Amino acid sequence: MSISISYQPTWLHQINPSFKLLTLTALFIGLLFVHNPNFLLYMITGIVVLYLFGTGHRWKVIGLLAIPLTIIFLSSSTTMIFFGEGEQTWFKFGLIHITEESFYRGIHLGLRSMVFGLLSLLFALTTRPVYLFYSTMQQLKLKPKYAYSFMAAIRMLPIIVEEFQTLRQALKVRGVQYSKGMKGMYEKVKLYAIPLLAQSIRRAHRIAVSMEAKQFSKNNKRTFYYHLGYTNKDLLFFLSLVVWLMISYVCSNQFTVFPVEYVR
Amino acid sequence: MLEVKNLRAKYPNETSLLFKDVSLSIQQGEKVLLVGPSGSGKSTLLQILAGLIPDVIEVPIKADKRKISESYGMVFQDPDAQFCMPYVDEEIAFVLENRNIPQQNMAPLISQYLDQVGLQLADEHVSVQQLSGGMKQRLAIASVLALEPEVLFLDEPTAMLDQVGTKQVWDTLKEVSEDKTVVIVEHKIDHVLPLVDRVIILDEIGAIVADGEPNDIFSRFRSKLYQYGIWYPNIWDDYARQLPNYAQYDNVHQPIITMDSFQGYYQKQIKMHVNDAVIRRGDWLAITGENGSGKSTLMLAIMQLIKTSGEINYFLSDNINTCDYRKMGYVFQNPELQFITNSVYAELEHSLKNSEVHPEEFADRIETHLKRYNLYHVKDHHPYQLSIGQKKRLSVATATIADVDILLLDEPTFGQDAKNTFQMLELFEECRKNGITIVMVTHQPEIVELYATKEWRIKDGELMERFDLSRVQENILKDDMYVY
Repeated sequence: MSISISYQPTWLHQINPSFKLLTLTALFIGLLFVHNPNFLLYMITGIVVLYLFGTGHRWKVIGLLAIPLTIIFLSSSTTMIFFGEGEQTWFKFGLIHITEESFYRGIHLGLRSMVFGLLSLLFALTTRPVYLFYSTMQQLKLKPKYAYSFMAAIRMLPIIVEEFQTLRQALKVRGVQYSKGMKGMYEKVKLYAIPLLAQSIRRAHRIAVSMEAKQFSKNNKRTFYYHLGYTNKDLLFFLSLVVWLMISYVCSNQFTVFPVEYVR
Repeated sequence: MLEVKNLRAKYPNETSLLFKDVSLSIQQGEKVLLVGPSGSGKSTLLQILAGLIPDVIEVPIKADKRKISESYGMVFQDPDAQFCMPYVDEEIAFVLENRNIPQQNMAPLISQYLDQVGLQLADEHVSVQQLSGGMKQRLAIASVLALEPEVLFLDEPTAMLDQVGTKQVWDTLKEVSEDKTVVIVEHKIDHVLPLVDRVIILDEIGAIVADGEPNDIFSRFRSKLYQYGIWYPNIWDDYARQLPNYAQYDNVHQPIITMDSFQGYYQKQIKMHVNDAVIRRGDWLAITGENGSGKSTLMLAIMQLIKTSGEINYFLSDNINTCDYRKMGYVFQNPELQFITNSVYAELEHSLKNSEVHPEEFADRIETHLKRYNLYHVKDHHPYQLSIGQKKRLSVATATIADVDILLLDEPTFGQDAKNTFQMLELFEECRKNGITIVMVTHQPEIVELYATKEWRIKDGELMERFDLSRVQENILKDDMYVY
């Protein structure tokens, strides 16, 4: 079973992973203080363009990942639109009560979750975990023992997927039947989690022993196979982000789409 | 030089000592093989000699004198549990980083170590997961060589490999270990013998019963090795000699499964294709073929656990004509994945609950089965607490207790010592005598020769050749050899 996904590296892949991580985190926090849905709308168009054309992944992958994004947008916005509070009633039917306030609040909430989702995906699709950890060791001074533990854990994931498939077949052959409802869910979680955890814990222990047998952690000083420094791609990324934020701000003032400017 | 004097060790939760005043010294450049029955503490002794115990693995030990090597490398058993990086080059680089080798020197060194173990890859930045078991173990050797060790410790490095992989790994090790001290734990020793100049036998409680030169040891302690389940050369002949002669097997029984233009899919691709084939009641069908040829796919397809197309007919008892798991047992390679309860007893009980066996019969039947599979003394243990052999036996017991018609086994003796293997084969033969048809994937030609009534050879996903076998054992005895 192979779950490797092929892609063409783009300039987004070449950005220093720690820098990318910090910039996006700062952006996340900044966005929490934005209360203008117009701004978010313009902001999102730029990120969508990057998501569609900048990751170097195949259309199939991009399309598949867009499905949960859409679901997040719809679910978070509709709950607020249908059930949120407000005074200017547009529509009322049973529990559903759409007001002007709740509508814009819903749109705003949906846009915000979508920005977060898109940015996270953009990061995940353009960052190799190994580079991220090498970079955090080099730029953010993360201790090697944590970085390599994470990398070893990531290596175990495809093995766990394989084991999960065998486990499913094995349980089927043993004629396992589940109860209905919540109890059945609990049984399922137990039947899958215990063997998978048992296998993984044992494997993790073995990997740890073999890592120490390879003289890991004897001394704290180490050289690195990959050197991750800063390039002009980082500057490009930062500048384009700033420029786009400014454009979004200007547009949201000049060409408003939603007739509200402050929603919270 | 490695040395321990009057060594004692004790695992937590165990009442008895593992070693009782064991003394051992290994000279520089010596190539030593440690053998012994399961549970004799060979691997533990290896880890103590390396210093992994007690530095990394905390097991209390006590010794009057303990001298270990400053620079060692260890190759472990499980190919999937000794790498921490996803790519081949990164894995070796990890070792070089640990040794503080400057970055610009790394790439040529990586190529050099891969070259030494015969892993010529077009691109060294290749995913570890894509390699076969034998290649992974050679990568493990390469990353150990990157440590530039004086002593090599090998902890059953080929236990999880097929014959091709095993041979490759030992050939590689012979080449790279010339100037090093080597200590090996292994129970499959055919390919190891040309490499070693000293053999040490441990008994069940970790005491040294023999220590000497290979030829001498093998002529004097042959019966001990047999008793301990060591795969010494020609053990199959010794085994065959004490087997009863089987009655001639006639090939006229009713079909139990028929297939025609039958195909099995994996990720939407046809991985296996069988034309016009019949499995008959009472057969012991051995499915053989190289790794990745589609043997396991065929088994999964027969069990309808993967997508299939074409024709397959089941003729099971009680007029059942579908793939019914109450009538068809399947034993996976990793028995742990098949356990679903908290005790050996409950495992067997679960199998019966799904069957038509009357609840009043449960207790009796479980007891008989526990005794037959030699599990009675551990009936209240959690399945995960059992030894490897016991786990395998339990998974077979759960598959057979409820009157199945056919039992499918995916390499049931893989990685087992000789003792467990023989024990399992005899259990399967007993099942067969009781009317259960056996279908098993195996790499071991001796099993096919001694037990199988039919052999299907699979090649590139295609059933290429089938043989009716006579099951006359004299064939093996003819070319008997006692030379080591």
